[in-house]
Amino acid sequence: MRLYKPLIKKECLEEIFSARGAALYLVVIGVLSVFSLLLVSNTELSLLENAQAVYMMSAIVMTLALLIIVIRGGDGFAGERERETLETLLITPVSPAEIAVAKLMGLLFTWLIVFVLSMPYLWAVGSTGQNLLSALVYLFAAGTFLVIIFGGFMLALSVRMKTFKGALSIGLTAFLLSGSPILLGSSLRQSAVGRVVDLINPFATALNMLDSVVVDSLGLLFQIMPLAILVFYTIAAIWVLSMTIRRVEL
Amino acid sequence: MKALEINSLKKSFDGMKVLEDVSMTVYRGDIYGFLGPNGSGKTTTLRILLGILFPDEGKVAVLKLNPSVDGARLRQRVNVLPESHGFYGWMRAEEYLRFFGQLYGLQLTTTDCRLQLDKVGLDPADIRPIRTFSRGMKQRLGIARSLLNDPEILFLDEPTNGLDPKGRRGIHDLLLNLNREKGMTVVISTHILDDVERLCNRIAILHNSKIQYEGSLFEPVVGKSTRYRFRVADDKNIPNTWNFPGILCQEKKGQWITCEIKDMQPDNALKFLIQNGIPIIEAIQVNSGLEAMYLNYTTQVKE
Repeated sequence: MRLYKPLIKKECLEEIFSARGAALYLVVIGVLSVFSLLLVSNTELSLLENAQAVYMMSAIVMTLALLIIVIRGGDGFAGERERETLETLLITPVSPAEIAVAKLMGLLFTWLIVFVLSMPYLWAVGSTGQNLLSALVYLFAAGTFLVIIFGGFMLALSVRMKTFKGALSIGLTAFLLSGSPILLGSSLRQSAVGRVVDLINPFATALNMLDSVVVDSLGLLFQIMPLAILVFYTIAAIWVLSMTIRRVEL
Repeated sequence: MKALEINSLKKSFDGMKVLEDVSMTVYRGDIYGFLGPNGSGKTTTLRILLGILFPDEGKVAVLKLNPSVDGARLRQRVNVLPESHGFYGWMRAEEYLRFFGQLYGLQLTTTDCRLQLDKVGLDPADIRPIRTFSRGMKQRLGIARSLLNDPEILFLDEPTNGLDPKGRRGIHDLLLNLNREKGMTVVISTHILDDVERLCNRIAILHNSKIQYEGSLFEPVVGKSTRYRFRVADDKNIPNTWNFPGILCQEKKGQWITCEIKDMQPDNALKFLIQNGIPIIEAIQVNSGLEAMYLNYTTQVKE
C-alpha cells in the first residue's frame, strides 16, 4: 500500500486540478441542470410520472458518468504515453499493476464526484416521490459496477493503444454499441433477440435494474440476476486489465 | 567492480533489429559516455537496463540484478533522466519532487525539496505550476527528480538538452561532485561530445546495432600526438613551458596549460604529470579527438 497511496492521490488531484478534469465537470453540471429543468417542468405539468422522471434522471447521470469514464480511461495509459509522463512513472519502483490500480481508483473518484454533483438534481426531480432513496442506492451500486467494468476495459485498451485518440475512438464506439439496445423500440426489446442483447449488455442490465427498482418498485430479490451479470462483467474487466498490464510498452 | 554488464544483447521491434550482439561493461565509479547516432538503440538499451523493456536474447546484470526479473528492486537503487520526460503540468516543483519521493518510499519535507531544487539551480521559492516552466527549468527539475533516491547508478539521456552554457556547466559540476564525493556511477547517453569530453572516463559507441568501440575516452594514440588542456589548481609555481618525455607543454594561460602528448596513453600522461607535482584538476582533449573518433566509428557502412 506504500506506493498505491501517492499514486491514488495524484490520480484524484489530477481529476480536480487538470484543465480537462475541471472542464468535464462543468459540462456535467450544465447537462444535469438542463435535463432536471425539463424533467421537473414535465412532472409539474403531469406529462411524466415522478418515478419515471427519477429513473430518467438516474439514467442521464449514469450515461454522463460513463462517458467521462470512457474518456478518462482511454487517457489512462495512452494519454500519459503521449504526454511522455508514463516513462517517468515506469522508471520508479512502481509496477504497472500498481499504476493501473491507482488509475482505476481515480476513475471511481470521478464517479463519486459525478454522483455527489447529481444528488441535488435528483432531489429536485424526485423529492416529491417515494423511490428517491432506493434510486440513489441502486444508482450508486450499479454505477460503481459499471465504472469498474468500463474503466477496466478502457484502461486495458489504453495500455495497448499508442494514442489517446485511438483508444477513445474504439471506446466510444463500444460505449455507443452498449447503449444501442436502449435505443431499440419497445417491441424490438421484447423480442427474443432484444431480450438477449439486453441481458448480455451490462449498461442495459444496469438501466433495466434501475427501471424495475424506481418505476416498478421491485425489491432486491428481483435484482439478483442483473447484479450477478454486473458482478460477472466486473470480474471479467479486472481479469482483462490484469492480463494486459503485465507488459506495458512505451 | 562491475556496476553493470551486458552480454550479447539482442532486441528487435516488428522484425527490425535494433540491438544485435551488444556487449558492454560499466565499472563502479565510472562516468560512462554512451554515444551513437539517432536511432542507434541507445534509449532501447537504457530501457532494457532499467527493466521497462525486455531483451530478446542476451544477459543483462545491473548491480548484480537481472532487470527483467528484479526490475522494481533495481529501480529502487538506480535512477534515470529520460530524454523525453513529461511533467504533470498542474503540479508545483516541490509537489512534483514530493510525489516522486513517495514512490521511492521517501517522505520529503519542504526543506528537503527546496535543497534539491537549489542544488540544480532552480528557485526553491518558485510556486508556479510546472506547465509555466521553460525547457531548461524542466530539465533541471528532471535532474532533481533523478537524484531523489541517491542512486548508485544514474542514467542520463541527453542531460544538458535545453540548457544554456552556464546551466550546462552547473550540471557538469554537479555530476562530477556526485561522482567524486559519493562514488556515484553515471551513464550518459548524449550527442554533445563536449559533455563527454568534460565528464566521461570511459565511452562506448553504438552504431549499426553493435558496439563499435568501448574503452577509455583517452584512446591509444601510439605514433600520433594529441593535444590536451589541463587545468591546474595552483599555477604560480608552474613554469610557462616544460618538457617531459612524450609530453610537451608550451602554452600557459592562467590556470590552463595546453600540452602535446605523443606515443603515450593520455591517462598515463595524466598520472605522470600528477606524480611529478603538477596539480591537475581537469583535463580536456583539444582538436576534438573524440569527434574524429566518433565520426570514424559512426560513418562505417553497415555490413
